[in-house]
Amino acid sequence: MDNLIIDGTRQTPEINFDSETGILKLEGRSIPENTFEFFTPVLNWLDEYANSAPGKTIAKINLEYFNTSSSKYILEILKKLKVLLNDGKEVLVEWYYEEDDEEMMETGEDYEDVSGLPFKIISFEEE
Amino acid sequence: MAKQSIYQNEVDNLDQSKNFLKRDDYSQMELQLEFKKLVENYEELIDQVKIITKISDRLQKKLNKTNDALENSNVQLADLNNQLNNTIDQLTEAKIGRKASTIVLFIAIGLFVVSEVLLEPIIDDAFKDNAYVGLILKLVVAILIKPGEDFANKYMLKKARKAQMKEQEEKMIKEKDQSSKKKRRKII
Repeated sequence: MDNLIIDGTRQTPEINFDSETGILKLEGRSIPENTFEFFTPVLNWLDEYANSAPGKTIAKINLEYFNTSSSKYILEILKKLKVLLNDGKEVLVEWYYEEDDEEMMETGEDYEDVSGLPFKIISFEEE
Repeated sequence: MAKQSIYQNEVDNLDQSKNFLKRDDYSQMELQLEFKKLVENYEELIDQVKIITKISDRLQKKLNKTNDALENSNVQLADLNNQLNNTIDQLTEAKIGRKASTIVLFIAIGLFVVSEVLLEPIIDDAFKDNAYVGLILKLVVAILIKPGEDFANKYMLKKARKAQMKEQEEKMIKEKDQSSKKKRRKII
């Protein structure tokens, strides 16, 4: 299975999903003009990944800002990871936020509550 | 178009229920199952709406905070710009003032030399009886030094400001040209 690599832009996040290591990175800013067009390949890739996923999957999410429709797609991504967890695979979501970005930290906590996935909320210093 | 929706799953679920209702041959059991499915989907949808609204509001707050910070930075930047412009103006004024003083000093020295070498003998011949005429002439020259300096200062300052404004206008026209070129490039 191919890895999914999408370069980040000023409006879309960088995506680096590695099917062999099980490390799924999503970082940057997500305000695409057409969220459906941007996230559909991502969700399709995750459907395929579910069939051949390694024992452990770590989703590293580090988002600076995202729009409302992206928040729906992030929820969809987490739902797909929940399917993996329900299949007996180990899944961990690492949610990164800049240390003074209270809003992004609380958003991570909300996703943790609603998804039922194990989360690790990690702060990092602003560069 | 219908397939290009972020709520496609939800729309599909609703369509399924609508199609079920169009049937008239369903049993009590089927109706119960369909209703259960509809309630589950509805519950999930409410959960999604709750979380998405909450997150959206929070990120709006973050955006507002960033905008406020940006506005503050702009105000600070405008203040600093004003201070810088004032300092530049003061420096220009001081520079021009020094230049004007030097010019007026040289003119005064020139006038003094002219009056001593050329006018003094003529005045001495013409007003032999009155020694004050030469002195008054020198006094007039001396009195005129200060207003002369002020006049030269004002004239040079006016000229410098005109040049500065012209330079700024040219800069603005250049920037406008560059931005319209960029826009054209984007359209192409």
